[in-house]
Amino acid sequence: MAQTILNNIIRIVFLVLLQCLVVNRMHLLDGLILPWIYIFGILMLPFETPRWLRLLVGFTVGFVMDYFTGPMGLHTSACLTLTYLQPFIQRLLAPREGYEITHRPTVQRMGLSWYLSYAGILTLFHHAWLFFFEVLRLSDFFYQLIHILFSAVATLLMMTIGQYLIYTSKTSES
Amino acid sequence: MRNLLALIQRFYILLLFIALQTIALILLFRNNNFHRSEFVEHSSDAVGFIYSKRDKLSRYLRLEQINYQLAVENAILRSHLPANFDVLDTASGIYTDSLKYQRFKFRSAKVINVTINREQNFITIDRGQDEGIEREMGVISDGALVGIISSVSDHFSVVMPVLNSKFQGSVRMKKSGDFGIVVWTGGDPAIAEVIEVPKQTIVSPGDTVITSGYSRHFPANLMVGTVVEVEEPDNAYHLIKIRLSADFRKLNYVQVISDIYRAEQDSIEQIATQENGANNP
Repeated sequence: MAQTILNNIIRIVFLVLLQCLVVNRMHLLDGLILPWIYIFGILMLPFETPRWLRLLVGFTVGFVMDYFTGPMGLHTSACLTLTYLQPFIQRLLAPREGYEITHRPTVQRMGLSWYLSYAGILTLFHHAWLFFFEVLRLSDFFYQLIHILFSAVATLLMMTIGQYLIYTSKTSES
Repeated sequence: MRNLLALIQRFYILLLFIALQTIALILLFRNNNFHRSEFVEHSSDAVGFIYSKRDKLSRYLRLEQINYQLAVENAILRSHLPANFDVLDTASGIYTDSLKYQRFKFRSAKVINVTINREQNFITIDRGQDEGIEREMGVISDGALVGIISSVSDHFSVVMPVLNSKFQGSVRMKKSGDFGIVVWTGGDPAIAEVIEVPKQTIVSPGDTVITSGYSRHFPANLMVGTVVEVEEPDNAYHLIKIRLSADFRKLNYVQVISDIYRAEQDSIEQIATQENGANNP
């Protein structure tokens, strides 16, 4: 239990630093693509995480991201939405027998198609929320639309590759 | 009362979500004013410290030294450009020789963080209040317009670059001398727009756009960009797309411009405004 909590904290801190110090510096295709991979840490929270704790984690992670990258409240708001929707999406995608205690939201435990729909839907929600509030005036609507889609795909791709790199079927306990 | 408690118990997740979301949105919309505290957090020393550490890692040791020397030298040389000196009024006194007094001062600063892919981009530099940086000072790079200091902490400052939808800069078409305003509406970080240039002016691709010298942030005749396309919307003004001279993706060192006589200009303009106000009932 304590090990699980510690693992999740370390993962989230690592991902936030990776996001701020490395990924934000990669101006892919002149900034058309901007993956927000730090949400991987939130997506990997165990199924049995209480919902109030999810919300608090989302708020904290978002707040720290805002502190690093720009207008306060932007990532906070997006992460809150993400953590609020997370249980609904999990319920929607639940296997017939429900989740077991050994299940983790990883490719190795839940299968690739489950993981892609889970991470895909949530990534899209998060990115859409983020970009909608960043633009607000929705100037250059189509550019923003392409921006959202490309970035979400890039985020998903990086997170999936990351899964294969980090987790083997033995180490996916937390 | 019991019903209320039951209701809260049932929906407490939703209520918690709404409460936290309200805090987030209040933070987000609290302040859209250019000067106010929206970005103060952003330039705080803690974040600046981490960014500068990262930056150190990512530069070659020796290259950095050489770059720095070059940047300092550039700043010194630029301070000596004739364009930065106002000529003394020769008709008013006996100073009939070519004496000039200096108007603008340049300080070099290192860029430690840049964003270019948002609607509101920012640049963080490693100079702050302790090095004499103040709000609203102009920032240039290689003689090309970059932005204006928007907030300052002890050792770091945040620049609002042209690539920010809230930026507005007074510019002049070099060929015709007409004034306009440079703005950026998102999208391509190399392209900005010049608005409010009247249609009777002839503008063609390739024309140079320079600073007007009317804003308090910049001296006149700094490069802003070159015209790439002229559109004709249904009003009295051109919509001119320009390619910015400053390459925001490759910013290394910038120069911060301080107007030595800004306080004086401000105070006399304020007096003038007050007197006018008093005369006009």
